[in-house]
Amino acid sequence: MRVFAQQLVRPAQYVALAGYIVFLGFPLLWLISASVKSSAELNSLVVSLLPQEWHWANYADALARQGLVSSAGNSAIVALASTALVILIALPASYVLARLKGAIRAAGVGWILVSQVFPVILVVLPLFLILRTIGLTDSLVGLILVHTTYTMPFALWMLQGYVAAIPVDLEEAGAVDGGNRLVVLRRIVFPLLAPGVVATAMFSFVSSWNEFFFALVLLQSPENYTLPITLSTFIGGEGKVALGPLAAGSVLAAIPSIVFFSIMQKKLTGGLMAGAVKG
Amino acid sequence: MKTRGVSIAACLTITTALLASCGSGDAGDDGPVTLKFQALSDQPAAIAATESIVEDWNTENPDIQVEIVPAGWDGVYDKLITQFNGGAAPDIIHFEAASIVSFARDGYLADLTDLMSDERRADIPEGILDSVTVDDQVIAYPTELQSYVAFANRTLLEDAGVEIPTGDTMTWDELREIAKATTKGDVYGLGWGLSSPTATFMSLAPGFGGTYLEGTGEDATLTIGEGEMALPELVHDMAYEDESILPVTMTQSGSEAIASFYAGQTAMTVQGSYQAANIAKDAPKDLDWVALPPLAGPEGPQQAANPQTLSVNIDSEHVEESAEFIEFFTQTENLAALNEADALIPATTSAQESLTEKLGDENGWSTILAGGQNFVSAPYLFADSYAQWKDTVATPAYQRYLAQETDETELADQLTSGWTEITQ
Repeated sequence: MRVFAQQLVRPAQYVALAGYIVFLGFPLLWLISASVKSSAELNSLVVSLLPQEWHWANYADALARQGLVSSAGNSAIVALASTALVILIALPASYVLARLKGAIRAAGVGWILVSQVFPVILVVLPLFLILRTIGLTDSLVGLILVHTTYTMPFALWMLQGYVAAIPVDLEEAGAVDGGNRLVVLRRIVFPLLAPGVVATAMFSFVSSWNEFFFALVLLQSPENYTLPITLSTFIGGEGKVALGPLAAGSVLAAIPSIVFFSIMQKKLTGGLMAGAVKG
Repeated sequence: MKTRGVSIAACLTITTALLASCGSGDAGDDGPVTLKFQALSDQPAAIAATESIVEDWNTENPDIQVEIVPAGWDGVYDKLITQFNGGAAPDIIHFEAASIVSFARDGYLADLTDLMSDERRADIPEGILDSVTVDDQVIAYPTELQSYVAFANRTLLEDAGVEIPTGDTMTWDELREIAKATTKGDVYGLGWGLSSPTATFMSLAPGFGGTYLEGTGEDATLTIGEGEMALPELVHDMAYEDESILPVTMTQSGSEAIASFYAGQTAMTVQGSYQAANIAKDAPKDLDWVALPPLAGPEGPQQAANPQTLSVNIDSEHVEESAEFIEFFTQTENLAALNEADALIPATTSAQESLTEKLGDENGWSTILAGGQNFVSAPYLFADSYAQWKDTVATPAYQRYLAQETDETELADQLTSGWTEITQ
């Protein structure tokens, strides 16, 4: 009886996992379904995941929309650059936050928490004026800096948690073996931090890729628009929404993000396993 | 090694970003005047119509070139308020009247009173012109409007022995009687998307003599009397006494409620007039539909006007040139083409007549356009606290009333006390 129960555990786990995946994936499936339905079908009472008639014209309409492809390129540039900047700055800063004691650490942690409190609408005008003074409104560089600043506090918070989880003993052992601080960081701490860096990078990338409000306010020229801004033009006044083309555009917009996640997810798993072996 | 790779990748990415931004800078200020026109057109046909009008202008006016800056409706108020404060707003601004009044009051919009031609002024119906007049100054040119129209399934009406209403108007009582007559079995007489009912009730209130608000700015006062309560009570009675409104539609948006009309679950639906184009495109081919005459209350078929508009940034270096372009943009043939593409009602009489002549009764156009002369000024456009009251007081109060959680007295009390709290 006990053996039989044990044999049931694994299939039950798979069923639960499958259910969870369906739960998570259903909105994406529905989006894909909507992207290949005609507006007549989208406005009917018939609810079906599979379209009655495949309506690929939504993709043609989405791609014909001015600037969809170039705005995807802009989004990629902004998201990759801000992610790189966040990691470059947050990595050493998080180490300092996690390892140092005293007033600086307390002030740093306080700043992180306080910075999360301000609503975006409150900071956007001063930010706009600052960027205008230095000539960085309507510029991808300006948006990269804003996204970096906006994401940094949470990235720092995430990474310093990972650093704190690394035993100080490991660093001391490295020092005993003759390594200076930089060597210890490069050879011991940073490799163990790889999963944290990957997780933080994923968070930063997605935050920037999906960010709407700052891009809306700061970017003026259509050639600089990022994807969320271009997609928002599918939503019209008087409650009009081009749902099919919007869904098609959203599917296309999600592809780079999914590809990035697929690549980074492997690194995330690899990093975790590497840490386990060394531990 | 991996760390080095990541660093190099990061540097390359940043360099690429810097180069990309360098490539998107301005090209120099010499040459003709260039006006930035922030356009919110969202439908492909309307975008094409706007581009065509701008192209015609640019060809005819080599010294004053107009550059379209496309933008979406989502978040555009916040974008504009930041642009105004940061001194970076476009020269010509496309937005709805309800949202630009506060811009005008804050001194962001140019006074166009003396720049609007007499010909244009005479061509705009008085109620529509009033909707863009703030403190006796014309602050924008109205371009497009929607009205609320009842669409009917001709087959279901005829099967119920109902004669399809014709004539210049039909009364709300007629609508109620038809809804009762066509409610049979699984079919309800009416589907009406009232998930956000405030704007609908306020737009239709003039037909019942309802004004809701008097005065302007901070001095505006709210009155809830018979005229204001008439339509909510009518809807309530139709839903719960006659049981002739499909209940689920009252929790839906207009676009969602139209699906029941397509499926033959409702014999009629009240929608924005622009839905005529969608019904023609999306309805099942065997659905024989008709746009019913403008709905009239005891005071007539009036509806409050909240047109889309074109206004001019007061800080623009080229206010006069911008106004010249808008004069061109609002010429009869241009407004007719734009409104045909957007399935909306032109804001000028001549463009309404031009469209009526061109389109006849195709897709209910003649009936819809006939309502173009019924627009009256909307007092809510000019009250400072309207938007806050609408979102935080009126909409929840109407939703509770339509869900039978409160009665008429409680609704009126909630509307007035909520206004008092906000404005005190």
